[in-house]
Amino acid sequence: MTTESLLEEAVQLIGDKAGGQSVPEPGRIDLTVEPARLLECVSALKDAQWGYLSAITGLDLGPQDGHLEALYHFCQKAAVLTLRVSLPRDGAVIPSICGLIPSATLFERELMEMFGIVCEGTPDPHRLFLSDDWPAGVYPLRKDFIVPIPAPRPEKGTAE
Amino acid sequence: MTGPHVEKFIVPIGPQHPALKEPAHFEFTVDGETVTSASVRFGYVHRGLEKGAENRNWAQALYLLERVCGICSHAHSTVYSLGVERLAGVTAPPRAQAIRQILLELERIHSHMLWVGVAAHEAGFDTLFMYSWRDRETVMDILESFTGNRVNYSANVLGGVKYDLGPAQADSILSGLDYLEKRLHYYMKVVNNDESFLGRTRGVGTMTTEEAENLGAIGPVVRASGVSRDLRVDAPYLLYADFPINVITATAGDLQARFVVRIQELFESTRNIRALVEHLPEGELAVRFPRKVRAGETVSRIEAPRGGLFYFIKSDGGENPFRVKVRTPSLRNFMSVIVGAVGHQLADIPMILSGIDPCFSCNDRTVIVRREGRDGSAAPSESDSRKDSSS
Repeated sequence: MTTESLLEEAVQLIGDKAGGQSVPEPGRIDLTVEPARLLECVSALKDAQWGYLSAITGLDLGPQDGHLEALYHFCQKAAVLTLRVSLPRDGAVIPSICGLIPSATLFERELMEMFGIVCEGTPDPHRLFLSDDWPAGVYPLRKDFIVPIPAPRPEKGTAE
Repeated sequence: MTGPHVEKFIVPIGPQHPALKEPAHFEFTVDGETVTSASVRFGYVHRGLEKGAENRNWAQALYLLERVCGICSHAHSTVYSLGVERLAGVTAPPRAQAIRQILLELERIHSHMLWVGVAAHEAGFDTLFMYSWRDRETVMDILESFTGNRVNYSANVLGGVKYDLGPAQADSILSGLDYLEKRLHYYMKVVNNDESFLGRTRGVGTMTTEEAENLGAIGPVVRASGVSRDLRVDAPYLLYADFPINVITATAGDLQARFVVRIQELFESTRNIRALVEHLPEGELAVRFPRKVRAGETVSRIEAPRGGLFYFIKSDGGENPFRVKVRTPSLRNFMSVIVGAVGHQLADIPMILSGIDPCFSCNDRTVIVRREGRDGSAAPSESDSRKDSSS
């Protein structure tokens, strides 16, 4: 099966559930999906055994834009199908897909703590890889989180 | 804390412990000697590299991302370079692509040989560990004489490579490969015939084809379970279309199959490197690369030693990456350990863990997985005495 026919098959499966589609580069198709219809789409892909969930990418478009995006990348051979879910920056809530794909739990927890997107119904909402003393409500991969730069130490011999 | 009180015996291991060479914390709930559930926590080596890449320009981020992993560093810098070059509309010259591919396969050889040693050590077979690490020095010497470094080769630049492959180096690569191939035949004999070794590997950590598919496992782990999934063939990059490899699969899905698959892959790698060295394209090593990269998004994937490595790169047209998402193969494969551990003897756990060749620095994140039984039903954290500070 060629990459094009694989992507065509995926669009046939869930194209009617998606809002719009685009081809960002050869071998890829992006489908815009409403949060409420995400589970339908994932379930259709899973039932048809189309590819595997390769990653979930969180994307912050910045405070001016006011949107976060969650990108669900499904890969089958050379084809990459991305479900793009756009969410408001304040109160971003998305249904958990762990009921359909249990191994997504790691990806979802990364998304939650790094971007402040709530994956509703995720089996384990615990902090994933930030340390225990990381302040609550601070999401490091958001654009308005500025990495604190420690003040430079005085060079040897220049002090006093 | 609802439901009946259940007595549990939990064996905590780590973060520092003698079995594994990198920090991770495990909790195995056991019934006698049998593991009934497993949980793991990473993140002791989390460095915030994804955020760091956003604060650097395109060229600086290359050097940062090369340091995601100390073993497959060239894989990270190559997958990033390929993605950024695609965004910028730049193609590295054929000679640079060939040199990148030679380095990728040399890296696969040293990575798999390192793993053969570690896994043999976990199996209590230290002779094989000593042999494979001694022989691995051959490929490390090749890499060092080629690039000047044993670990972060720093061979890539955006638009090409820094180092050329001269006739003297080509000869040393070819003679090194001759020696390695002889040794690989010996390893193959050991993992297939040695009774004490087979006792630790045959039927241990078995993952069926169906389980491997469902868990989305990748790399040698999924290939040992009979799934032909290899990006070098599925989505050829660099010169893999002209210098192809054969996908190695096995059907048993146990630890022994993973040994066989990895060692056979090394024969494929040596064959591939030979073909590239003997038919090295002539020409430039690098082309000019712009300071700014035009706006766009790309997904870049290559087959790292541990499986498919996934990068998502977004540019807003500026001098810095807007977003670099790194998903390493070990993270995808760790689910198979959690499934594989349940029902096994505690003594087999180091072998099951090392079966996926876990790379904790690569994971670059903390993971806590709690499972009760093989059906995937998540455990309410009744055994979790950890303070809930995550909300």
